[in-house]
Amino acid sequence: MSLKDVLSPFKVWERAARKPWTVKNPIDERKGSANYRGFHKNDLEKCIGCGTCEDICQNLAIDLVPVENVETNMGDSGLRPMIDYGRCCWCALCVDVCPTGSLNMSNEYNWIEEEAEGFRFIPGADKKSWDDSDKGYHQSDDIQLIDPARIVMEELEAEERKSTFVEMVKGYSKEKALLEAERCLECGICVARCPAHMDIPEYIKAIREDDIELAVKILYETNPFSASCGRICTHSCEEVCALAHNGEPIAIRWLKRYIMDQVTPDQIKEIITNNIQVNNKKIAIIGAGPGGLSAAYYLRLLGYEISVYESKTKGGGMLRYGIPEYRLPYDQLDKDIDYIASLGVQINYGKEIGKDLSFDELYGNFDAIYFSIGLEKPTSLRCVGEDLDSVVAGVDFLRDITDGKRPDIGNDVVVIGGGNVAMDVARTSIRLGANVTVLYRRRIEDMPADLEEITEAQEENVIFNPQSLQTKIEKAKSGRLLLQWNNMKMVEDPEGDRPKPIPIEGDLESKEFDTIFSAIGQKADLSFISEKYEEKMKFKWGKAVTNQFGQTDIPKVFAGGDVKNWTADAVSAIADGHSAAKGIDEFLQKR
Amino acid sequence: MEDFLNRLKQKVEIREQIKQRDDLYFITIKKEQTELVLRYIKDNEKFKHLSFMQAVDYLDDSKFMLIYMLYSFSRKVSLGVSVFIDRKEAIMTSMHNIWPHLWQYQREIKEMYGIDFPSSPRVNEDFILESWDNMPPMRRDFDTLKYSEETYYQRPGRKTNDPKEYMRKKLYNDFVKTPKLRDDK
Amino acid sequence: MKEISKSKYKNYVADRSKYPLLKDGKPEFDLNSHMFTKIWQGPQHPGVTGNMSLELVINGDEVIDCKTHVGYLHRAFEKLMERRKFMQCFPIVCRICVPEPDTNEYCFSAGIEELAGIDIPEKAKWIRTLNLEMSRVASFLMWIGGQAGSLGMGIIGQWTVTMRDFWLDLFEEMSGGRIYHMYMIPGGVRKDLPEGFELRVKKVIKQTRELLVDIEKSFLNNAITKSRLQGLGFIPPEMVEEYGIVGPTARASGKPFDVRQNNPYLVYDQLVMKMITSDVGDAYARTLVRFAETILSIDLIEQIMHKMPKTGKIQAKIPNVLNWKIPAGQTYIKAESTRGEHGFYIITDGSKYPRRIFVRGASYTHAISVLEKLAVNISISDTAALMVSLHTCPPEIER
Repeated sequence: MSLKDVLSPFKVWERAARKPWTVKNPIDERKGSANYRGFHKNDLEKCIGCGTCEDICQNLAIDLVPVENVETNMGDSGLRPMIDYGRCCWCALCVDVCPTGSLNMSNEYNWIEEEAEGFRFIPGADKKSWDDSDKGYHQSDDIQLIDPARIVMEELEAEERKSTFVEMVKGYSKEKALLEAERCLECGICVARCPAHMDIPEYIKAIREDDIELAVKILYETNPFSASCGRICTHSCEEVCALAHNGEPIAIRWLKRYIMDQVTPDQIKEIITNNIQVNNKKIAIIGAGPGGLSAAYYLRLLGYEISVYESKTKGGGMLRYGIPEYRLPYDQLDKDIDYIASLGVQINYGKEIGKDLSFDELYGNFDAIYFSIGLEKPTSLRCVGEDLDSVVAGVDFLRDITDGKRPDIGNDVVVIGGGNVAMDVARTSIRLGANVTVLYRRRIEDMPADLEEITEAQEENVIFNPQSLQTKIEKAKSGRLLLQWNNMKMVEDPEGDRPKPIPIEGDLESKEFDTIFSAIGQKADLSFISEKYEEKMKFKWGKAVTNQFGQTDIPKVFAGGDVKNWTADAVSAIADGHSAAKGIDEFLQKR
Repeated sequence: MEDFLNRLKQKVEIREQIKQRDDLYFITIKKEQTELVLRYIKDNEKFKHLSFMQAVDYLDDSKFMLIYMLYSFSRKVSLGVSVFIDRKEAIMTSMHNIWPHLWQYQREIKEMYGIDFPSSPRVNEDFILESWDNMPPMRRDFDTLKYSEETYYQRPGRKTNDPKEYMRKKLYNDFVKTPKLRDDK
Repeated sequence: MKEISKSKYKNYVADRSKYPLLKDGKPEFDLNSHMFTKIWQGPQHPGVTGNMSLELVINGDEVIDCKTHVGYLHRAFEKLMERRKFMQCFPIVCRICVPEPDTNEYCFSAGIEELAGIDIPEKAKWIRTLNLEMSRVASFLMWIGGQAGSLGMGIIGQWTVTMRDFWLDLFEEMSGGRIYHMYMIPGGVRKDLPEGFELRVKKVIKQTRELLVDIEKSFLNNAITKSRLQGLGFIPPEMVEEYGIVGPTARASGKPFDVRQNNPYLVYDQLVMKMITSDVGDAYARTLVRFAETILSIDLIEQIMHKMPKTGKIQAKIPNVLNWKIPAGQTYIKAESTRGEHGFYIITDGSKYPRRIFVRGASYTHAISVLEKLAVNISISDTAALMVSLHTCPPEIER
């Protein structure tokens, strides 16, 4: 210590003359930084109410509540996050994790309220001054707390699959399935969208926990055709997946397939043991497709005696005869059907109602009838020459292939239509070695076929010839068929519907083909129902009109599947079978 | 470091040895040999610095793990020495003579885990939890959520909805009930 | 870097002549003898660093016995984390220490990354180092204020806390939060540095350096400071290892223990830094060491800003955080906080939740065993200065 130490502190006297550091009016002069984690804002339009913010919040500050003017629909729960600022710690994990990116933070940090309750609010719905602020903590692409990219599914290469009917999708390995299952946010929005309302988050969770038994049980609660659906389902659930908003949806369908790939038919029988209390009521089911057999499955669980009548020699309906083997191998379908049959469901193959047995007989002998006959009668091409030989219905062709026939279709074939049947016919023809053209009257993006089928067809070198309407088919001199078509233009619809195709006058083209497939749609063949009953039942646009449980106007007769619903896919047929089972049960209980 | 571990192995039983990083090793030793090992490696092997001592509850195995994290300034290596003790008979020899500040950890562990260290200074004094009358709170079977629900005032009027259930009620409530195949958990 | 000179107080030994007899290592005194008074310093005493209290037994103005009491802010973070998913722990860890939350964030993130086998991008490492050094500066500035305040020089505390606010402005810009930054997330950091950040850092560094010069004149070279702090709380070198003393406190007693240099993490091995030590061991030496370390941290920030890669990813790919499971394992991650070795011991068991997370803070021994020993035989007016010179922080005791 020295004199210097006594004097040294006085050197900083000059600080007294300096400008103070204090901000005079902090509320106006001192805004939060551009990246500040201030009060929440939520874009109600973008938000889907998936509740991921609620799940990640470690303070339990977030509740999901219904909000006025936000409707619940298939991809939106209609709920919105309400944040309790008595608990929030502004960590912004809810912002980082939000799958739609709707929830963000402003840079506002001043909020005065008289009542403490006011600090519980629904961002976006309760209007606040910072709702339009573009500053504050926002989700960025730099960090990803949820994985937007799907685990790639291995498939056969296009070149390889062009020559084989071997299944093209290889399925997930356990490792990959676990990784894919890990991506699930467990929001459960998909469940509503699934026609059969399968408990998707739960079975994905079971995969994650590597509990295949539990997973199989969950599947069989809502869908006895899981091995098939795991391959060919239209997977509308994936369209509404929360992850689809900023990335790729969970591969729900492939995960279902993964579950069923892990078990043999015998194992399924071991896992799902039913204690069926048999009653003496008898039910006849017409059609052993997914709709008929799922009704049979659920009715059998309730103890009914089931007789299924199927005109063909094998069961599965369109799953077997409409979908080619490379998409759904027959042994997988057999796996599903075997289990249903093992419950004691009696399936009579090769028995066609109206031919081998009359509808009247069934009506008299059974307590209830369920028909789920599918759509098998091809719609007319409505052009000259469609009756010529070598103009073949696509569904008939696919059925022949399933039966093991390999018809001679020649080198050049054309498929008219843009649905899944058209794609299946085209791709099967490719596998028979033909050059294939697809003729469709609208644009490719308007095609009703699944996008992946269209892409895969393109990969397999199917030529697409959209905006073309067939006008005439005639025999060419060479003995082949000459197809003439009119090129179309797309005209905006004044009412705002999708654009309509209009023929361009005189713009005709034609080309020779060996075979022409018609695949522009099918309708139900209702000839099996005797007239006196058909009169009593209502049909609209060729579809049976029923109540929500599939009951027609004849109380004893129920209908479902493609012959009733408009989605006309396997999983809807399964859902129909399920509800019809409920309807039939209630009807028979009441009686 | 390997030399040292080999030397140690000749003297005492090392049940498990893990090299986590170049500067972090873990060894598991027998409970009876703890004092011996700690004294030996402190006095002869230069692991003089005790970073911490802590307990871990392995409820499923009915065991507590005690870990002594040592550091050697000359080797620049951390060494975690762990010992397993029986959960039902949670008593451990006090090591407060080896490091003068170890009694603090033992006092905390006594309070938080209920592991007794007889003869450790002030081991029975309240450390953090004054007049706590429940089970030692760091044990795995102490349910914090239940405790806080019973003890503290919960804000009234909070209600949340599960999107899955809510959508079922709104969109397809009349869809058939599915048969229950899984067991209720 | 300023060398810290040796002091004539090197061999200072506390005068124990008036101290009561020891029995079984404890002082023997009879409170009923009217010679002793028991008073509590804290938890609401302005001279106490945070929420703790000292139970002092005094004779006149001389401390005879000291017991540290904690329990005023126990929030059971370690227990809470056992119930939370890995990512949900991340907003909790920073709350363990208010003046310097980033060391906790770093240790937690690095531990999770090590156990999950994640390598973070190079740029994230640099940003993390920058963040850690900035937090050291902010924490040291607060400490200077505390040390000066404990000697009655409140104005210096006002200067440094203002300066700390400028550093917090930088944090706000970088991470979105002033106090709890929640910036280092397992896998990297949450945001890239904003545009023009380097310039603003330079501006604040310039201001800070100016202030530090003034503080050196008015506080370090101050007769009052010297007379009060020199000789106070002398820690002999042999006590350092016995009592688990770390950080500047150990370095002021001549032990070169610095995690950044002994076991370099992040990018510390690419930075030039000098070990700052003193072999005096009293409170004034600790003040000088910490002061020099403040300047060192500022130097390091300049080095980092200069060497840091300008572009690059800031976050490694991590799995969906809601379902993140980490294989069973254990690790101990340590880093140098302003108080010394700060560490996270993490055990995972293969589930979505950590089995156990233990937070090791330097104050655990500094504020209890060491303080209780050093407080004996000093004047009651010096206890506050002694506590601050150990830089005690109660949250590290009660995690």
